[in-house]
Amino acid sequence: MVPPSFLQTIEETGFSTWLRESESPFAFYFILLFHTFGLALLVGANAVVDLRLLGVARAIPLAPLKQLFRPMWVGFAINAVTGILLVIAYPTKSLTNWDFYVKLTIIGFAMWVMYRLKREIFDDASLDETSMMAKGASLAKWSLVLWFGAISAGRLLAYTYKYLTFPS
Amino acid sequence: MNFPHLHLLLNHFPIIGTIVGLGLFLVSLVGKNGDLRRASLIIFAAMALVAIPTFFTGTGAHGAIRKTPGVSEALIERHQGSAMLALLFMEITGALSLVELWKSQGSSRQSGWNWTLSAVLLFSIVTSGLMMRVGNTGGDIRHPEIGSGSDVAAEESALSKLVERFEPSPGKFAELMTASKWWWAFMMDMHFVGLALVIGTVGLLDVRILGFLKQIPIAPLHRLIPWAMLGFGLNLVTGILAFTGMDQYYTYDWAFWLKIFAIMLLGLNVAAFYLTGAFKSVESLGAGDDAPPLAKFIAGTSLFLWLAVITLGRYIQPFADTVSVHK
Repeated sequence: MVPPSFLQTIEETGFSTWLRESESPFAFYFILLFHTFGLALLVGANAVVDLRLLGVARAIPLAPLKQLFRPMWVGFAINAVTGILLVIAYPTKSLTNWDFYVKLTIIGFAMWVMYRLKREIFDDASLDETSMMAKGASLAKWSLVLWFGAISAGRLLAYTYKYLTFPS
Repeated sequence: MNFPHLHLLLNHFPIIGTIVGLGLFLVSLVGKNGDLRRASLIIFAAMALVAIPTFFTGTGAHGAIRKTPGVSEALIERHQGSAMLALLFMEITGALSLVELWKSQGSSRQSGWNWTLSAVLLFSIVTSGLMMRVGNTGGDIRHPEIGSGSDVAAEESALSKLVERFEPSPGKFAELMTASKWWWAFMMDMHFVGLALVIGTVGLLDVRILGFLKQIPIAPLHRLIPWAMLGFGLNLVTGILAFTGMDQYYTYDWAFWLKIFAIMLLGLNVAAFYLTGAFKSVESLGAGDDAPPLAKFIAGTSLFLWLAVITLGRYIQPFADTVSVHK
């Protein structure tokens, strides 16, 4: 099966070519670096909130951890932007890989869980710590599993692609 | 870069340091001296960290002397195999020492005997023995004045021969690491999971000490450190395994060496945090409290160095083959 030709169109634009082929350290690897920073921020902050909800380091008060949702969204924003740039650099490589869609689906679910954690657990002022933990435990477990899955699916992109660039 | 020089500069530390650490540890047990015991555990952890670049520089040293007349490839391989086994035990000793340091924190007095102390004792004794063998097999490569005959390998003691049975063959081990791309992908995956854990926990503590997210009290955030150690341990194991799988690739890469250097600086930074009183000064800070300047400086350094580690790790790929060696 030949990949759709719009992938070739994107790939042949000057911007895509520059991202992919530039020798500058501020091209492809720079974007990849910020994608990693975003990951650390988004998944790192999520993991801490999840672990705390599951009973790790109980001495940390739960309520102020609400502040961590902002850095999570910053991390997500960084990764949405850098992610799009990475797809522009290698459109054929990413969009013809089934794992790419698996990764996006997992991230979709993970973000939904994150949103629910904020709305249902941290925004509900009527909940005390015990009920926050009781109510949030299953969301926290799902969050950990989904972020682990998102990282794994992302890492696997480097090993599962069919085409690196559009086949000539 | 002069790898033989670097290797010689580093390689005496883990050998002699572990033996000195063991000596102090034994004295502390006999004399029931809690401070000395902690000091020896810190030495074990430090040696476990220094052993990593020592091991890594071996590949470059090998490359530099492989064509020198009179240098035996078989002796180098034997040395490398012994180093791999010693490194395994060294890292376990270091990890156990950190576990014991964590468990006994706050009490400088002698606390009771427990399983971690027994494990540290056992592993540090074995590590010291293995380290001596690494030194001997390394010396055999280039110091003919020590050996009595020409065939050094033939005159090994029964104990050395027994130990050698447990030493991996470096070539076969490297093949094992790279044979399946799925195994490699799994290691890289774990390396990123570890990264997220370290940054989530240590990063949060650093950011709070620096004065952000002030509603969170500092003291309980410190309870997350075991999770940081778990993340770092994951990265240490997968990182060392990846190196043994593709040692030529990493050895001639500047980004790799700078990353290792940044990790060593992080070791010093952790020591500065716990040993200068910076930790004591933030230990009991609650919500809204401000940390003193020294603690802020150390937290800022930690954050900067971790970001440097991620950055340099990301640039290993484009920096392949950037280290030139005099041939």
